[in-house]
Amino acid sequence: MLTQSGLTALAAAIAIAVSTMFPALAQGLTAKAAMESIARQPDAAKDIRSSLIISLAMMEALTIYGLLIAFMLIAKI
Amino acid sequence: MGEKSEVLFSLFGVLDVTGEVITMWILLALITVVCLIVRKNLSERPGKFQNMVETGVEYLDKFTSDILGKEKSRKYFCFLASLFVFIITANYSGLIPGMGLTPYAKAPTSSFSVTIALGIIAFVFLQAAGLRCGVKRYFKRFVSPMFFMLPLLVLDEFVKPASLSLRLFGNVFGEETVMEKLYEILPIGAPILMMVLSILFCALQAVVFTMLVSIYLEEVTEEE
Repeated sequence: MLTQSGLTALAAAIAIAVSTMFPALAQGLTAKAAMESIARQPDAAKDIRSSLIISLAMMEALTIYGLLIAFMLIAKI
Repeated sequence: MGEKSEVLFSLFGVLDVTGEVITMWILLALITVVCLIVRKNLSERPGKFQNMVETGVEYLDKFTSDILGKEKSRKYFCFLASLFVFIITANYSGLIPGMGLTPYAKAPTSSFSVTIALGIIAFVFLQAAGLRCGVKRYFKRFVSPMFFMLPLLVLDEFVKPASLSLRLFGNVFGEETVMEKLYEILPIGAPILMMVLSILFCALQAVVFTMLVSIYLEEVTEEE
């Protein structure tokens, strides 16, 4: 049976699930590319590492937005 | 957003002093005391404590001058370093056992008001730094390379502080919430799992915040 609070809980679950899935994929791809380029060119490891951290943080922000929405929805129940 | 803060008392009837504000005052006092002690015992041949602080400052200096270049980094180092030191101490204060569980004791950065304040400070600083490098160049940045980029670039300027503060708030608040939930499951032992991860994440958030502000600063004050 669908109730108001049940739907809200479902919405929160979907919000956090989807917003972790895709940034995680993207972060995996980014990390993979960075590892490969570090392996190919160990001298440039420092520059690559700092750009890697920035891009990971940018993607992390998307997950955080999903998390915030989930928290707000949970608080509504 | 987030949980409602507990108001301890209000100053002048309008300014509510919450638990986070008190924690922040304690942290600021701590940082000030450490700075004063280091300054008082400054010597040519550094002791253990001075050595440690010097290493930290040198590391920060290298960090900002890698992004900004030597000259500009010297100019803006004070602001960026104080931002970093404040955020990292505020984040780490959430790791003290009992923080977030006892009333009035919370990590300051797990409150959205604190992080949006940091975002606004960064925003004002960036605009001021841009204007100081030439008013004409400051406005030219908004219409280059094309005139129709203007609305997007203006919007971008406002999105920067919002995303900075939301990222910091979300990460720290999320960590604190996870730690609370773990505490409810198993009071002794379980929160340590998250705390170990938090040691990494808290430092990373401070690094990311400072790094992004430095990169925006580099964009704003770029030589042509």
